[in-house]
Amino acid sequence: MSTHSLTKAALRAEGLPRRRAVNRLMELLAWLAAALAVAILGIVVWSVARRGAGALNLDLITKTPVQFSFTPVRQGLANAFAGSLVIVGIATAMALPVAILVAVYLNEFARAGIRTAVSLTLDVLNGVPAIVIGIFVYGLLVVGRGQSAFAGSFALACIMLPLVARSTMEVLALVPSSLREASLALGVPRWRTTLSIVLPQTIGGIVTGTVLAVARVAGETAPLLFVSSLVGTQVSWDPHHALQTVPVAIFELAESPDPADHTRAWAAALVLLLFILVASLGARWLATRSSRRLSASR
Amino acid sequence: MRTLALAAAVVATAVAAGTAAATPTRHAGTALVGAGSTFVAPLVSQWATPLAAAYGYELQYSPIGSGGGINAITSRTVDFGASDAPLSPDQFTACKGCAQIPWALSATSVFYNLNGVKPLLHMDGPTLAKIFAGRITSWNDPAIKKLNPGVSLPAEKIATVHRSDNSGTTFNFTDYLSSVSPAWRSATGRGVAVNWPVGTGAKGSSGVAAAVGQTPGAIGYADVAYAEANHLKFFAMKNRSGKFTTPGLRGIIAAATSDQKPDASNALSIVNPPKKYPLAYPISTYTYVIVPLQSSKAAPLKKFLFWAVTKGQAFGPKLLFQPIPKSVLVVAEKTIAKIHG
Amino acid sequence: MSSADLTGDATRRSFTGRRVRFGDVSLQALAGAAAAAATFLVFLIAFKVVRGAQPAIEKYGLHFVTRVAWDPVKNVYGAGSFLFGTALTSLLALAIAAPLAIGIALFLTELAPRRLRGPVTALVETLAAIPSVVIGLWGILVLGPVLRDQVEPALHGALGFIPLFGAPSSTGSSVFTAIVVLTIMILPIVASISRELFLGVPRDLKEGALALGTTRWEMVRGVVFPYARGGIAAALILGLGRAIGEAIAVTQVIGGGVGIHWNLFDTGDTLASKIAASYQGAQNDIQVASLVYLGLILLVFSLVMNASAQVIVRRAARRQGVGLRSGGAG
Repeated sequence: MSTHSLTKAALRAEGLPRRRAVNRLMELLAWLAAALAVAILGIVVWSVARRGAGALNLDLITKTPVQFSFTPVRQGLANAFAGSLVIVGIATAMALPVAILVAVYLNEFARAGIRTAVSLTLDVLNGVPAIVIGIFVYGLLVVGRGQSAFAGSFALACIMLPLVARSTMEVLALVPSSLREASLALGVPRWRTTLSIVLPQTIGGIVTGTVLAVARVAGETAPLLFVSSLVGTQVSWDPHHALQTVPVAIFELAESPDPADHTRAWAAALVLLLFILVASLGARWLATRSSRRLSASR
Repeated sequence: MRTLALAAAVVATAVAAGTAAATPTRHAGTALVGAGSTFVAPLVSQWATPLAAAYGYELQYSPIGSGGGINAITSRTVDFGASDAPLSPDQFTACKGCAQIPWALSATSVFYNLNGVKPLLHMDGPTLAKIFAGRITSWNDPAIKKLNPGVSLPAEKIATVHRSDNSGTTFNFTDYLSSVSPAWRSATGRGVAVNWPVGTGAKGSSGVAAAVGQTPGAIGYADVAYAEANHLKFFAMKNRSGKFTTPGLRGIIAAATSDQKPDASNALSIVNPPKKYPLAYPISTYTYVIVPLQSSKAAPLKKFLFWAVTKGQAFGPKLLFQPIPKSVLVVAEKTIAKIHG
Repeated sequence: MSSADLTGDATRRSFTGRRVRFGDVSLQALAGAAAAAATFLVFLIAFKVVRGAQPAIEKYGLHFVTRVAWDPVKNVYGAGSFLFGTALTSLLALAIAAPLAIGIALFLTELAPRRLRGPVTALVETLAAIPSVVIGLWGILVLGPVLRDQVEPALHGALGFIPLFGAPSSTGSSVFTAIVVLTIMILPIVASISRELFLGVPRDLKEGALALGTTRWEMVRGVVFPYARGGIAAALILGLGRAIGEAIAVTQVIGGGVGIHWNLFDTGDTLASKIAASYQGAQNDIQVASLVYLGLILLVFSLVMNASAQVIVRRAARRQGVGLRSGGAG
């Protein structure tokens, strides 16, 4: 619609009531859409909260599952919480240094051509569906060797890498060049400049990006389905064996016929959701704080 | 920000410490990792504690279905696999030096969800085949009424539930349907997964039990322990001698007497036993453990399997697993002795 | 381009000058190795997936893509049924989510009182953060029964003459449930990208239209949509890519059926969901290879979606002469 036709429409005063009515209708639809989004979120979160809160007790993280029993027995998902801590922790340890180095390379050293190329591959990596990553890691690390938490961590690290690299790149780009120039002019070697001057400015952004990536992979199920799923019921911290994780446990419990299993699934979902919400909100708050600090220092 | 990070670290450490302190952690002993049949899972889950007490082994078993178990042991991602369906020659070749050993004996129950009707409705093979083929669609069909004279059946629609994953229980069930219904045998046949003409799929024995429990008018099949655990009513099936038998210990052991000699690959077939076993439940089956004859965990594996086929069988009866008969035990032990490191 | 950018390029040069410090070379080498590893990883993934699918590719060739059968009994496999399921669920989910998401984005940028904007934006982004397994859990235990008992019979009663609304599901697991779940999952993505796009529309363009006497809706239709057209297309494609790749929530609620059925209340399956359901239980080599072949098709689709979104974004940015990320009241 060109400005010409806009003017014509505007000048067509006789059509005004109809145009106002259409406008009001569209505004109403927009309000309804927003209300629907809020409602959906509310319904899902309320379902999880209501059904999970009732089952939320210390048993969930202190007792282990019982595989088959005729009578109800007190059980929990301690092995899943321990396993998730191990797998996500190791995944972060795998992904974080590589992501920071990639971001440093792209931002500080790479020529424009290489930067676009590697950026593109990071985007591609980000777009690979999690289930395909699961197939990849299964073929690479599990066949012939057995499942392990290490393999699970590697799969999650593949998902975290582009996320953390991207957010680190963004904060690195925000660091003013004047800072680098001043440091180099003072005779500080390049590597020192990068590590001691530039990177510390970005810690806030890196932490934010990492927390968001952790929140994302803490709930990932697909890559772990055939990489760390043949697990025992005891709590184990040994990454050489397959470890149970919270999302995989929820996935398995959801299919069970036992309502007690469903209750535990809701409780685990509630804990997972709370963790992700706190992490995401915390990261956003961190981001606003550090961006305020960076823009103030300009 | 520092306080937030510190607080988060404290919480995480607290959770970790709490989990570590309050839970029974795994012993430093050997872990024996297995996967496969959901059919045998109730029995294997009983073995973890006594096995750990006897030898200190940590038994990890994941019920992912017989097909998955065969695949897992073939690609050596586990120490042992479990399957209710005996391996085919192709599967033996792919597994490269595996042996199958019968280690438990139970029955597939066919259960239903129908309110207001007495338990233990009568059912026979041909009618069941027609139901799962979609040719009988409602509960008050004359064929069902004929089997249950005097019982008032509602006009409710029958919804069949089958296994969506590769399942040895499906093999057992379709083996039975194929042997009682030539129409079923030619149209659908038997296998760990078949092209079901009608019905919904559910994952795992517990999935089928769940789906039937939640769907009025549904019929499904799984190891009898699952029917018992979920308080589902199962059919009394008509065997070849014309009697209606239930999947209990008596029906299972009667069926097992019909084949006491494992074949060259240690497989046994006790489905739809002939007329001279009047007490037999016609959908009984052995279930097998699949092990590589050469394994880095040969010593603990042998100890575990010897224990499983002898002392382990004692945990069976209350879950409706019949201890394996002597003739089969002898063959099993001979095969276990062949495992080497 | 500011002088800062020019200097930036100068400082960004790789260190090849006279005084080659060990530390500088080490850092550059280390960082370069990391970048090389990340690039190599992507190619390794593609290679491994193609290699894993090779037995099936050799056996079935491209016919695999169109064959509808998935028969573990006769060992005949094909992707046709799952391509159909993927297309049906993803496209319908996008069709429902797109207008809702754009409506939400319009609400957040044009209509919402200032106090509501922050909280509602946070809510929409929180919806994006809910893990798919939790949405799947909710889908099985809450949504499925409601759809089975109330919504599907109602739709069948009212619109049963359309083949899409055939006999209602008996268990609550159906293509329809999967569509609802997917809609919920792609809604926040499309909404938040659209919101950022609408925020980037130059205010003077919008105010100019309003000054001419257009209503708010006419301004949106005449100024905002054309301006953001490329970005919205990219957002839709990204949302579609998300729906196509979703394995967990879909497999929990879709019921695992094979074949081409137009009845939305029937069971079905998608590429990703079939892999998640069957991979662990696959019983022979050709079945595993066929599942990896499904994964390969899925990967190709995702890459194409990703690439298309990038191309559209770049073309739109060039046409407008400004980057899509810059500008606008944040």
